[in-house]
Parts: sequence; structure tokens; C-alpha cells
Amino acid sequence: MHIPDGFLTVNAWVPAWLISIGGIGYCLRKATLTLKDRMIPLMGVMSAFVFAAQMLNFPIAGGTSGHLLGGVLAVVLLGPYARAIVITVVLIVQCFIFQDGGLTTLGANILNMSIVGAMGGYLIYNPIRSVLGGQKGIIVGIAIAAWASVVLASCACAVELAISGTSPLRVVLPVMVVSHMLIGIGEAIITSFIIGFILKVRPDLIYKI
Amino acid sequence: MKHSFIDEYSDLDSLIHRLDPRVKLVTLVASLLFIISTRPTSFVTFVLYGILIFILIGLSKIPIGFIFKRSLVIIPFVLIIAIFIPFFKKGQVAGSYSFGSVHLTVTYEGLMVFWNVLVKAYLSILCMILLATSTKFSNLLKAFENMKCPKLMTMILSFMHRYIYVLVDEMMRMKRAKDSRTVGGKRWFHVKALSHMVGVLFIRAYERGERVYLAMCSRGFSGQIRTLQDFKLNKTDFCFLLTMAMLLIAIRTIRR
Repeated sequence: MHIPDGFLTVNAWVPAWLISIGGIGYCLRKATLTLKDRMIPLMGVMSAFVFAAQMLNFPIAGGTSGHLLGGVLAVVLLGPYARAIVITVVLIVQCFIFQDGGLTTLGANILNMSIVGAMGGYLIYNPIRSVLGGQKGIIVGIAIAAWASVVLASCACAVELAISGTSPLRVVLPVMVVSHMLIGIGEAIITSFIIGFILKVRPDLIYKI
Repeated sequence: MKHSFIDEYSDLDSLIHRLDPRVKLVTLVASLLFIISTRPTSFVTFVLYGILIFILIGLSKIPIGFIFKRSLVIIPFVLIIAIFIPFFKKGQVAGSYSFGSVHLTVTYEGLMVFWNVLVKAYLSILCMILLATSTKFSNLLKAFENMKCPKLMTMILSFMHRYIYVLVDEMMRMKRAKDSRTVGGKRWFHVKALSHMVGVLFIRAYERGERVYLAMCSRGFSGQIRTLQDFKLNKTDFCFLLTMAMLLIAIRTIRR
């Protein structure tokens, strides 16, 4: 879902960059308030963790395999602001070292996966968790939020492609959303397994609001 | 384990490698802007940009096969996003196919958009690979910092770059240990085992982050990272910048 260079026109990637810079600037300020100077090494190592976790292939139906995206996983563990920074850092490294996603479209990729995906996922996770309460609330909230964050990010991606005239919205939106609704199921299952495990082993690491 | 595929050619000695990273970064952004704003019908322009990129690759002494291989790895990801484009654009029909009940129509307009995004994406990828393989990541980060990127961000990036190798190694070791102990079995079992592995990796990474922070504190870390080396622009840098600017503009103004 990383949009490469050339797929977006100026009227899509410039606004996306501006929103991302503003959003990440805000998150940086918020995260610094809570983490202080502990933040730098912690965020760095956590970004490397998300990166490594994304390299792990999970077997899916048939011979195919997929990997974790880790968006909501990081929200539950680090909180929404630190999480947005972690995913942004991962995207920057993927862009510059692995050429996964373009440079002009990096703003759009940050907007989709880091801001829309994370904040959407967090806004869904938090109410479910507090309504259901306890461990069950965390697991159910995480599963739904993980699924929704993938779908939301794909919606944002579709809208950006449509604004650029790469393909019309009524076509690209259903194609993207339906395919990511399936991807989201895998993401939801894996994320809830991981959180279930951490709840058992180190429940103190789950982010408290 | 070795991950030499990342920084393999960044310590060669060539004109491109010796350039100031800031100059490279500015040139990269300029080239990308020129490439993506080219009209899709100016085929000659695309060819000339391609030739320019290959001349730069030649100057950098990085084996062309290596760059090709890296670019081929990314193409599938580009195609996944691009593949449905030619079928859904309204316009003059170039050909239609039916598979059972599904009718697919390829239009010329759709093919044009398809060609447009593919060629631009590929040329940009080549530029990015050239930058990534000819520049050390730490130097790139310093260039970001010199160009007013928030210091907090560049510091987190440099930590991440340092620990990617450590954590990827750790994950690979765990994966190998799991693979050598679990043969066969149900898919659910594997998914669950792998998920728990990610959980363990998270806990280890988190604790490592804390340890690194404490180690830094005990060495006098106060939230600021200081480096000794600074970049200086020299004549070659200016010449390169000027030549590239002229070439990019010249290629754009050639009309065909």
C-alpha cells in the first residue's frame, strides 16, 4: 500500500505532505511531554521492532503468506502519539533505504498509515476498551481497531489516488477497501494474539490512558 | 548474520560518493519533481531522463546489475497498485476480454495512465536506489539535520537504523529456532507461535530501549547528541549541482 512516486499529482501530494508535517509535529510535541529524553532511544528501538516484525511472514490460506502491519499493535503498547512517530520513522526508512514508497508520496503514505490509520484505530480501540473493560475489552477493542485501521488507511489511499485522477473514486475505493477488508482480518487476528500474549507475560507494558 | 545488501556499495570511492549528501538530496528532489511533472506523452523526455540516470549510475561505479535487481524487487508492489488502472478508465476501447461473466475493457486512456505512472515510478525508484546505495545512512541523516529537519526525528531515525540490524537478527534467530522445532502441524498453531514470537520480540526490544537509555544517561546524555564532523561544500559539489540543474531543464525544454 506504499504509494510510489508518480502515482499522485501535485494537488494530492503537496496537501498530504503539509497535513503530515503538521500532524507529526503535534505528535512529537505531545510524546516529548510524556516521555521526555527517554523518548529518543525508546522510539528508535521500537521503530526497529516494528520494522523487524513486518519482515516476519505469517502463513495464510493456501501457500500465500502475509505480514503484520503493526499499526494498532503499536498504539496499545506506546499510546497514539508515540505510535504515530514510530510508524512515520519506519516509513521514512522504508522509503530511503528500501525504496518502498516514493519520496514525493511519502507525505501521503505518512498521512494514510501513520495519522489516519493510527488515530482512527485509537479512537475505535479506546471506547470499546473502556465499555467492555478488563482484558476482554482490550482484546476485542484491539481486534476491531486493527481491522478498521487497515481499512481506513486504504480508504485514504483510494481518495488520494482518485484526487490525482489516477483512477475514478467509484472504482478505486471499492477495490482498495474490499481487498483491505480481507487483509484487515489477518491483521486483527495476529494483533490480538500478540496482545493476548503480552497481557499474560508483561501486562504492565500495555499503554495506560 | 549479514545484512550487507543495505549498505553494500556505500563506501566505494567515486564522484557520486564524494558529493556532499545535501547536494545529493537536493538533486534527488529536483530530479523527482522534474520526472513526475513530465507530460505522459513526451516519450523522448522520459528516455533522456533514463539516460541521465544511467550516466549517473555509471559515474557512481555501482554495478548496474545490482541496481536492476533492487529495482525489480520493488516493481511487484508498484504493479499491485497500478494493475487495475487500464481497465477502468473511460475512453476509446483498445481491446476487451471476457473471463466467464467478467468483462474487462482496456481503453487507450487507461493504458496511457498506466504507462504514465509506471514509467515515472520506475525512474524515481532508480534515482532513490542511486541515492541509497551511494550514501551512508548516517551521512544522509546528518544532511537532513543540516537542512532543518527536526533533530528529535533524525535522532530517532539514527537509533532505529542502528537497531534494525540487531532486532532483525534476533527475529531471524527466533524464527530459525521455531522452524527447526516445529515441522508440520496446523496453520493456527504456527500463526499463534509466530504471534507469541512477536510478543517476545516486543518485550525484548522494549527492555533493550530502557537499557540503552540508562547506558546513555550514565554517560552523560542530556537530550542532545553532539557530533564533530561537519559538511563543507566544495567546487565539485557546485559544479555537479549546476550541471544537473542545466541538464534537467534542458531535457524538459526539448519538445517532441
